[in-house]
Amino acid sequence: MPERSFLHVSSAVVCVRPERAQAVIAAISAMQATEVHAHDAARIVVVMEGRSTGELGDRLASIALTPGVIAANMVFEHVEELEETPS
Amino acid sequence: MTAEPTRRDVLKAQAAAIAAAAAGIALPASAQPVPGGVSALEIKWSKAPCRFCGTGCGVMVGVKDGQVVATHGDMQAEVNRGLNCIKGYFLSKIMYGEDRLTTPLMRKRNGVFDKEGDFEPVSWDEAFDVMADKCKQVLRDKGPTAIGMFGSGQWTIFEGYAATKLMRAGFRSNNLDPNARHCMASAATAFIRAFGSDEPMGCYDDFEHADAFVLWGSNMAEMHPILWTRVADRRLGNPHVRCAVLSTFTHRSMDLTDIPIIFKPGTDLAILNYIANHIIQTGRVNERFINDHTTFMRGVVDIGYGLRTEHELEINATGASDPGRMEPIDFETFKQFVSNYTLEMAAELSGADPGFLEELAELYADPAKKVMSLWTMGFNQHVRGVWANHMVYNIHLLTGKISEPGNSPFSLTGQPSACGTAREVGTFAHRLPADLVVTNPEHRHHAEEIWGLPEGLLPDQPGYHAVQQDRMLRDGLLNFYWIQVNNNLQAAPNNSQETYPGYRNPDNFIVVSDAYPTVTAMAADVILPAAMWVEKEGAYGNAERRTHVWHQLVQAPGEARSDLWQLAEFSKRFTTDEVWPEDMLSANPDYRGRTLFDILFRNGKVDRFPLDELDPEYANNEATEFGFYIQKGLFEEYAEFGRGHGHDLAPYDRYHQERGLRWPVVDGQETRWRYREGHDPYVKPGEGVKFYGRPDGRAVILAVPYEPPAESPDDEYDLWLVTGRVLEHWHSGSMTMRVPELYRAFPGAVCFMNADDARRKGLNQGMEVRVVSRRGEIRSRIETQGRNRMPRGVVFVPWFDASQLINKVTLDATDPISKQTDFKKCAVKIERLA
Repeated sequence: MPERSFLHVSSAVVCVRPERAQAVIAAISAMQATEVHAHDAARIVVVMEGRSTGELGDRLASIALTPGVIAANMVFEHVEELEETPS
Repeated sequence: MTAEPTRRDVLKAQAAAIAAAAAGIALPASAQPVPGGVSALEIKWSKAPCRFCGTGCGVMVGVKDGQVVATHGDMQAEVNRGLNCIKGYFLSKIMYGEDRLTTPLMRKRNGVFDKEGDFEPVSWDEAFDVMADKCKQVLRDKGPTAIGMFGSGQWTIFEGYAATKLMRAGFRSNNLDPNARHCMASAATAFIRAFGSDEPMGCYDDFEHADAFVLWGSNMAEMHPILWTRVADRRLGNPHVRCAVLSTFTHRSMDLTDIPIIFKPGTDLAILNYIANHIIQTGRVNERFINDHTTFMRGVVDIGYGLRTEHELEINATGASDPGRMEPIDFETFKQFVSNYTLEMAAELSGADPGFLEELAELYADPAKKVMSLWTMGFNQHVRGVWANHMVYNIHLLTGKISEPGNSPFSLTGQPSACGTAREVGTFAHRLPADLVVTNPEHRHHAEEIWGLPEGLLPDQPGYHAVQQDRMLRDGLLNFYWIQVNNNLQAAPNNSQETYPGYRNPDNFIVVSDAYPTVTAMAADVILPAAMWVEKEGAYGNAERRTHVWHQLVQAPGEARSDLWQLAEFSKRFTTDEVWPEDMLSANPDYRGRTLFDILFRNGKVDRFPLDELDPEYANNEATEFGFYIQKGLFEEYAEFGRGHGHDLAPYDRYHQERGLRWPVVDGQETRWRYREGHDPYVKPGEGVKFYGRPDGRAVILAVPYEPPAESPDDEYDLWLVTGRVLEHWHSGSMTMRVPELYRAFPGAVCFMNADDARRKGLNQGMEVRVVSRRGEIRSRIETQGRNRMPRGVVFVPWFDASQLINKVTLDATDPISKQTDFKKCAVKIERLA
């Protein structure tokens, strides 16, 4: 039986110092499978995709420890089983 | 690329929309969610509070096929409004570590219990039989003072309440203490001394009303990320808001600060008294408030360090015999007392920048600024922790900045039910529920009435506190000892000298109930496998007085059982004839020959709610097994202590419908600000403010000095050691270290050190070293970069790592009033491995 495979789509809210917002947005956007969907002066809405909760948690920890970031917290997660094992 | 949105696009848009809603950010039109895009995946969602810290976030727990498969922040929870920190994000995994305990284990040799034997699986009956034999033998030989229990602020409210009944009313021993002694005792003690009632007057709503935040030693960015987000939103969304952070080293919370202050360990006391002096000298005392609502006292000084009584520091301390004594003074005497604490003196002693100190003092002094002060272990784990708590109340009381939206001295908590269980239920060695104490005859009598006990049954001497329990185990005076929901061998100070020897003392029998084989469990004689979190019905109380209940959502693995079941089931093995004195039984013959289970749980109160009151949607193993809704019965009996006395709880069933309620709950309404007319129903019209916990209705402003720590660096042990936590791991790591991703994120503790100090000692980044004190040593690795940046002369080692037990190195000095250990100040040297 082929190994089951999942797609996780999660969103997070990131608090930043306003003067660092553009630099943080650039840093987050450069991360793999991570997109900035919206922001205001001090907050950024991020959507991440990955294969496991762990992968996304790791990425959230990296975002939280990015210079200029005050806090990064998860909001929503959706998990879907993929039809076929990706290559 | 296709023009048609794919399912992935829809999912991502949905995720973004929910996050934007949580943050209150408008999405661009192109990113609006597509309705109906996401199906439920056959997951059943239920609410629960998070299992980790004292913030008390609401989470939604997703169960599929009998297993927790997902959790997310609860959008309806006021505390976190849909957000979920990194630890909370991994909640669904903490129950599924590979080494989960699933059967009772006992040390045996040749088929029988043997303290020197190896752990073998046994049945619950065999484990309880041996435990009951040992317990009865100790009771016969030495009496109730040789029986002890060490619980936790992670106990559910029912579990802590069952434990306090079993220990005090059943075994007639007050040797019950929670690990919250290591965490909250200084805060709780100061609340009682200053206000006559434990726990904060304010609540988390203060975050959105304050003009300034002052963090006293707390690193909220890593330890309380959700509350830190509320601070950040307030600070970054309102340019006038200021944030001051005081610490003994530079950490992540400094990124948001306008007023960063690094001070030498222990000198926060001088800074606090300087602020009081500044308020007085600049004429900004709120005179009406202090005249109407406060009273001035002076505390006894030179109170020692809570070490063993034969220690020279205790022998030489003139005030050590009665460290908590206070005597009345007037404002002029207080003014005179703090006048020595000038800006120059505070700056000189603390090493802090005088400009920043003055800015800090002005935040408090300026009558137009609403100030929220926040603290946790920096104040509480302090040999003068009770004083530090008093001193921050002093500056809020002098200015009248208290008990109203945004003006809030706020003690944060580290455990999910440090307030709800350890403090409100009263599982400390001297406490009874709802702020009652064992030393007060009226309080004991009241408890005996509610519990249906013979008059005079409850013991009147406070039991051994946490550190004293370890000393008494080592000395062979405490011989039967049961530890639940905590990892004290890792958490306790100076543990290789003062804790481990007591566990392995041949005179002692040690039982540990836990979900995982912690270092504490592995040092025990019997290990009982525990059900955790949503494997049982539960209730926690968070730092803002919020009581939050959850249903059992899944079954625990194997033979694991909740602590509530363990306590109640064990009580069936004892009769009153075996544990109560003969004169008590002859005076009250109706009580003869009954089991402790009958006395404590089948007492006509706890057993009064039948099984048909259970919600058929959810399992409840304990209720099913005992034949009545035991959690509801315990809660309602417990609530009798507080209703009408300022600790009112709502009817139990309502908590299943709410995301928690803040007590006192009167006429169905929760209370956000205590002691303030219009917010607190106990303050009558026209009174304005009333600190009704004290007989005179006045809060105490206490004159106490700076006194130095128990141990300071010298020529040989030349560095301060501070211990604490990191973002990824909670406390001793027994849950978070079992989440592979959290383990990978921060796999082993390191020794954070100043780069110049390291260079001077010939140490390089990443080098393996010995961290050595007069008590013991560990191996660690040097970290001169990273998230914590140390000043000269101070190192920081987190304590989550069982392979680097930093508490072998720490000192078992405690605050002499609260008996809470100071984990933040001792002297060490760092040596390279040869």
